[in-house]
Amino acid sequence: MQKTETVSARAGRLGNGLLSILNALGITPLGLALIILLAILPFIPPFDREDLLRWLVGAALIAAQAIAFDFTTGYINVVNFGFAAFLGFGAYTSALLAVDFGISPWIGMFVGALASGGLGFFTGVLTLRLRGIFAAVMAWFVGLALLGLARNLVDITRGPMGLSVPTFLETASNRPYFYIILVMLLITYLVLRWITSSHIGLAFKAIGQNIEAARASGVNPTFYRVFNFTVQCAFAGWLGGFYAHYYGILTPQLMHTSHTVEVLAIAYVGGRGSIWGGAFIAFPFIFFIEWLRSSLTSLPGLHLVIYGLLLILVMIFYPGGVAQFYYWIADRVGKARRGSAEQSG
Amino acid sequence: MARSSVQSTIVFEVLRRLTTAAGITIILSVVAVIVSAVVAGPFTLVNAIVTGGMWALLAVGLSLVFGVMNIPNFAHGEFFMVGTLVSYLVFTPLHKYLRQNPSSVLSTVAPFAGIFAALLVGALLGVVVEKLIFFQLRRRSREQWVMNSFLLTVGLSVVMINGHQLLWGTNFKGIPRYWDVKPIDLFGVNISMDRAVALGLAVVTIAIFWFFLMRTRTGRAIRAVAQDETGAQMVGIDLNRIQVLTMALSSALAAMAGASLLFMFPSYPTVGLKPLYVAWYVVILVGLGNVAGATIGGFLVALLQTLTSYFIGVGWEDVVPTALIILILLFKPSGLFGSEVKGVWEQ
Repeated sequence: MQKTETVSARAGRLGNGLLSILNALGITPLGLALIILLAILPFIPPFDREDLLRWLVGAALIAAQAIAFDFTTGYINVVNFGFAAFLGFGAYTSALLAVDFGISPWIGMFVGALASGGLGFFTGVLTLRLRGIFAAVMAWFVGLALLGLARNLVDITRGPMGLSVPTFLETASNRPYFYIILVMLLITYLVLRWITSSHIGLAFKAIGQNIEAARASGVNPTFYRVFNFTVQCAFAGWLGGFYAHYYGILTPQLMHTSHTVEVLAIAYVGGRGSIWGGAFIAFPFIFFIEWLRSSLTSLPGLHLVIYGLLLILVMIFYPGGVAQFYYWIADRVGKARRGSAEQSG
Repeated sequence: MARSSVQSTIVFEVLRRLTTAAGITIILSVVAVIVSAVVAGPFTLVNAIVTGGMWALLAVGLSLVFGVMNIPNFAHGEFFMVGTLVSYLVFTPLHKYLRQNPSSVLSTVAPFAGIFAALLVGALLGVVVEKLIFFQLRRRSREQWVMNSFLLTVGLSVVMINGHQLLWGTNFKGIPRYWDVKPIDLFGVNISMDRAVALGLAVVTIAIFWFFLMRTRTGRAIRAVAQDETGAQMVGIDLNRIQVLTMALSSALAAMAGASLLFMFPSYPTVGLKPLYVAWYVVILVGLGNVAGATIGGFLVALLQTLTSYFIGVGWEDVVPTALIILILLFKPSGLFGSEVKGVWEQ
């Protein structure tokens, strides 16, 4: 009797310790359960089929992008409208290093991240002195210029014909790739979550809400915004490296604005300023979209209409997205629990 | 003595104006026009002027909506697309009918029917979009309006592009020409009737629009709202009416531009993207909300693009102007013509 108690107490202490570690990392028990579910999903039928695995990889890639996107949009309130181009810049950097110099993709993708981050830094320094939408539009112009370059520098990028890129692994199976992108997704989440929950994140939020007030309280808006933008672009470039060495083919179309819109829609539906919202919604959403696309081939473009409508509806009627809904539920559950505890006590 | 000092102040004033960013740009573009006319032949010039008129129409609409409603409209190109589509759908059956029953009067008028239909549909669509989307958001939240309305227009653009694809498919729906007549000969350059009419339409429309904005009561009300919304409301201007009207005007202008350029831009889902980029180049280049500047800017950007595709190569006409605009904005972030509504940018 005594012994079982100590064991359960010890287990409880251990559990509490684990919980506090997870809490510090920004993972709730529910989040941990979802991560574990994702990790075993490739072995559960029907998700062990190659086509569904491919969807899973695609969803995880979009999820990681949505996290990076929300890091800027949800915090400093600047929409990087050239996001896809920064992703593509990293992808092309890594791919060209592998093709022309035979550098391993594992190194190349970090070089790609550095390159994208550097480009993001310059764009940020030039545009983020000015406010809000100006930076969004200028980032878009930079993106258009990059897209144009990728299309026109046929000698280097092979233009619209597509650049074939060596992949990470020799295997034809998608499962190992899923674990690579899952780890990348987790790293993206943990790093960005760590930044936003530190005092830097506080400064981001202050700038996003009221830039004058932030400046008056001694926060240097330009510094923090450029920092944020650079980090976002670096992550975009890193994920671009994965894109290049997973799909094995790169076309300038990757940098197109419609790709940015896709990520943007998911980040917004997931919930601005939540970091996890977009990543959470990406999986069901991408599966739904892919299912729609493969079952309704006679109606091309329908899935994009849904993206657009969803973006409009969420923006107007429920600006907090899925994250707000979750917090609302959690609040209700918490209240109900407290209420019943009071009644019983 | 006195006269010479007056003269010298006038000279000084002229010099001062010419050395501002706007003055330098205009001088440079005049030089570029002359050089290109000599080197590349007058045809490039004609091309630049015709497309420039239409870019000006687009940019004026975009600038107006931003000035009055503070909406950076990303779906502006989609109204251009709607214009091309409507004009195609109206003009093609008419054209077919006229092939069987030739009539010289009708075949002169038929294209105008298409363009006018596009204008009407564009205006209607503008009203619908304002009522269904922007009004709804405005009623619920005005927080971070510029960014949120921008994202709404992004959604709208995606819906319209893919709606077109769903209903009419991705194939090119174009016409070789509106008017089957001999081209006009001007200084040894052949200008097709379509081009001449497009330019004429642009000039006339901009003139009418300008008169409307400057001289009529409603035009004044629109400008008042652009300057100060609260103040305009205080003197009894119906804000909702002005907003609906502005959106309708802007999208009607865009649709008209699309319809008149149908011979250059066959209608397909993403046909609006390029005009959208260009309208944004113009508007950012001259400074947002600056309607007069947008007119000049339209011609400037068209010239820049024509020169780029002639001297550097087709396909570069997006890259070079973008790079140049970014460079210019580094030194003059509020735009070439230093607009007074810069404050709106900064929200």
